[in-house]
Amino acid sequence: MYQLKIDDKEIQVPEGTTVLKAAGMAGIDIPTLCDHPALEPYGGCRLCLVEIEGARTLQPACTLPVSDKMVIRTQTDKVKDARKFILSMIFSERNHFCPYCQVSGSDCELQNAAYGEGMTHWPIQPNWKPYPVDASHPYFVLDHNRCILCRRCVRACAELVGNFTLGMEERGANTLLVADLGVPLGSSSCISCGVCVQICPTGALIDRWSAYRGQEKDVSSTKTICLGCSIGCGIEVLHRDNNLIKINGDWDAEINGGVLCDVGRFFPMDEKRNRLVTPMLRKDGSLKAATWDEALSVVMENFKPFINKKENGIAAIASTRLPADVLYYYKQVFEEILGSNMVTSTEEGRYTAVLSEFAEDKGPFESKLSEIHKADTIMTIGLDLTKDHQVAGFFIKRLIPKGTKVIPVSYESSGMDAFTPHSMIIERNEELAFIQALDAAITGADCSEFAEKSGISSQEIIEIANLLDHSQNLVIVYGTDFDAKQKRETVQSLLKLAKKLNAKLISPKGKANSLVAEQLKLNKPFNVNGHKAAYVALGDEDPSQAVIKKLENIPFLVVQASYQSALTAKADVVLPVTTWLEQSGYYVTCDGQVQLANKSLQSPVEVKTNKEVVLAIADRLKIIVNPVWDKAVKLENSVVEID
Amino acid sequence: MSKPKVATDWMAGCAGCHMSLLDIDERLLQVLELIDLRASPITDLKEADESGVVVGVLEGGINNTANEHQARLMRSRCKILVALGDCAVFGGVPAMRNFFTIEESLRRAYIETESTVDGFIPTDPELAVPTRVRAVSEVVPVDIYVPGCPPSADVIFHVLSELAQGRIPEIKDDNLHWH
Repeated sequence: MYQLKIDDKEIQVPEGTTVLKAAGMAGIDIPTLCDHPALEPYGGCRLCLVEIEGARTLQPACTLPVSDKMVIRTQTDKVKDARKFILSMIFSERNHFCPYCQVSGSDCELQNAAYGEGMTHWPIQPNWKPYPVDASHPYFVLDHNRCILCRRCVRACAELVGNFTLGMEERGANTLLVADLGVPLGSSSCISCGVCVQICPTGALIDRWSAYRGQEKDVSSTKTICLGCSIGCGIEVLHRDNNLIKINGDWDAEINGGVLCDVGRFFPMDEKRNRLVTPMLRKDGSLKAATWDEALSVVMENFKPFINKKENGIAAIASTRLPADVLYYYKQVFEEILGSNMVTSTEEGRYTAVLSEFAEDKGPFESKLSEIHKADTIMTIGLDLTKDHQVAGFFIKRLIPKGTKVIPVSYESSGMDAFTPHSMIIERNEELAFIQALDAAITGADCSEFAEKSGISSQEIIEIANLLDHSQNLVIVYGTDFDAKQKRETVQSLLKLAKKLNAKLISPKGKANSLVAEQLKLNKPFNVNGHKAAYVALGDEDPSQAVIKKLENIPFLVVQASYQSALTAKADVVLPVTTWLEQSGYYVTCDGQVQLANKSLQSPVEVKTNKEVVLAIADRLKIIVNPVWDKAVKLENSVVEID
Repeated sequence: MSKPKVATDWMAGCAGCHMSLLDIDERLLQVLELIDLRASPITDLKEADESGVVVGVLEGGINNTANEHQARLMRSRCKILVALGDCAVFGGVPAMRNFFTIEESLRRAYIETESTVDGFIPTDPELAVPTRVRAVSEVVPVDIYVPGCPPSADVIFHVLSELAQGRIPEIKDDNLHWH
C-alpha cells in the first residue's frame, strides 16, 4: 500500500493504482474526456492534468501510477488554467457550437467539462474547416465536425469488441477517424455493435433512432437484461412517454460489462412488425376482434373434447424467449392437465437435447462463460460466434491481441477468420473426423486417416493438437451444428477430447431461455400427426416456416403472440400478449445464471402478459399451477450448474 | 447616486435575447428602478448616448460591415461591454454559414432557395458588405460573456441587477448554459 496526499486528503492505495483512480477513491473528482472506466488509460486529451509535488510539469492523472508519499494537487490555479486552456483548444479545433448539436444539454461530456470549469466562452475561434459527415451506416451517423479525437471509439472497437474497424489517419488538424482504410462506415468491416456510439463523449457518433428524441436526463431508464440470446447481457432501456428511445449496454453488468451486439442494441429499434392489440376470433372465415372472455371460452370449448387424447389431442409449442415461470406453467397446463403428448418449445431441443443425455449420467460438465476471459487458448466448433451469441465472440476476439490463441473450426469461413491465423476450414459435416484426428494426434497415434477425412492436413492437425496440448487454460466453446446422423457421437468425442486436454467446455445454446426449456424437457421435435388442436405460445418471437408448415392442416389453432405473422393469419383464436419489454420474468443464461428481466414499457390496454394468459387458461380449467419453477428446472441434472 | 446608464443593440442574431430580456416580466420594473435604459432596438432611441453609458449590451454576432460599425460604436461609448447570448459570445447559429464561402451562402439565400423566382444577389453600394460571422470579441474587447441561446430571463436579470449595483456578475452553475 502507498500513502498519498491528494488535496490535503491522506489516503492509502494499492501499488499500481493510477492517480485518477486514487483520487476517485478519495472522493475527489478530476475531469476527464478520453478516459473511460471500461477502457485502458490512454492519456490523449490531457484534461486530467494535476500538479505533483516535485514534478517539473503537470502530469496526466489517468496514466500516471502513484508512488509512495506522492503529494497531488488537483485544484490549484495552474491546474485550472491548464484545464481551461485544453478545453479552449478542443472547442476551437472543429465545430463545437452547442446550439445545433444533438447531445447539447447534458449528454455531452465536453460541454459538461466546460460547465464544470465555469467557462462562459472560449477565446479562440475555429478555422471553420468543414469536415465530412459519414451517414452511410444504417444505425448511426459519424459527424467528424463534432469529433475531439479522444479515440474512445477506436479503443472500444479494439479493446472491448476486438473488431479493429476504427482507426485514425493523417496528423494534426487533418487527423480523421476512419473505418478500415478510409471506407464509409456502412461498407466497412463494422459489425454494428454500436459500442463506439455508446462510448463517444460528444455528438460525433449519434444513433439515428434516439437522436433528438430526448437527452438522457429527460428520459426514464430501466435496467434489465437483453433477451436476444442466452448470454444474458445487462442493458439499460431508455424510454420516454412509453416509447422506446434507446438501448445501452449496462457498464455495471457482470456478464457483458457494457458491450452489446446489434441484436441487442439496434434490432429492437428496427421493429417493423404489426402489433396485436386485441383478442381475435375467426368468424365466417375471417378474424374479428373479440373480448378476452369470448376468446378464452372458444379456446376451452374446442379443447375440451381433446383433453387427454394424446396423439389425437392438443399439440403445444412455446417460445424459448418466454420467462422461466411462464414455461413451467405452460408445461403444467398442457402436459399434466390437458394430457397432451406433444408439448415442446420452438427450439425443439435443437441445441440442448443431445447435451442433456450426457449430463444425465455425468452431471454438469460445462463451465461458466467468464472462463473465456481467463483462457490462453480457445477452440470454437459447431457454431459461428460472429453470427449468433456475438458478445461471446467479442470476448474471444478481444483476447487475440493479448496473445490468446483462437482456433475457430467450421466448414465455412466466418467473421472470426480475419483475426486469427489458426482458423480451420474443414469438410462439411466432418467435425467428428476433425475431433478424432486431434484426439489421435494428442495421444501420439496416426491421425492421417481422420485428418484426410476432415479436409485438414496431418501436419496442421498436429500443430493444432500441440497448441491445445500445451495450453494452460483451454476453453472449448461449442455448438451442436454437427451432422445430424453423428451428432451424439461428435459431442461424445468432443467431451472425451476436452477431458483429455483438461479443457473447460462452454456452449451458448439457443435463445434466452434455452436452458430452462431443456430442463423442463420441452425439447421434443415438434410433430403434428393426428392432433386435433394446437396451441402456439409465440410471445414476441417470429414463427419458423417449419412450424407454420406443420400446422397447415390443424383443425383448430390458437396463437398467443405479440405480433401479426403468417401463423396468426391462419389462427382460429389469437391471444395478444406483451413483448419482452412489457413484462418481467426470470431467465437462465446459457451458463446457468438466473436473472430477472424487468418491465420497462406499459403494454396496450387489451394486451395481457404471457403469464396472465397461461394462468387464465389454468383458471378456466379450474386448476392451480405450481409456481415453484426453479425447483422444476433443477429437478434433473443439467449440463451446467444452475445457481 | 445616479442610476447607471445602459444601452443595448442587436446585430446578427434573432432578437431572441431581447425577447428573453422582456421575459423578465414584472421584474423589469425593478430593473428600471436601478438602471437608466438609454437606447435599445425596442425603444425609441437606437444609439447609445454620445456622452457615453456605463453598460453596453450587444446581442448577435458580427456578419457584415454595418455590424462592425455598431460594435465599434457601442464599445467606444460604453465602459463595460456585455456580449449577450451565444451569437455574441461564439457566433452562434449564424456562424454555421462560415463553413461555406460567402458567395455560396448568398447564392443559396437569394437565388437557389426553393421559393425564389428570378432571384439576384443585391449589389446596391449602400448595403453593408457581408463578412465571415464573428463573435463580438473578435472585433472589439468584451468584458462580460453571457452565453445561452437565449440566456434565460433569470440570467439576464441577475446580470443587470449585479451591474446596476456596481458588481461584476459571476455566471456559473445553473446560470451557465450555451444552448
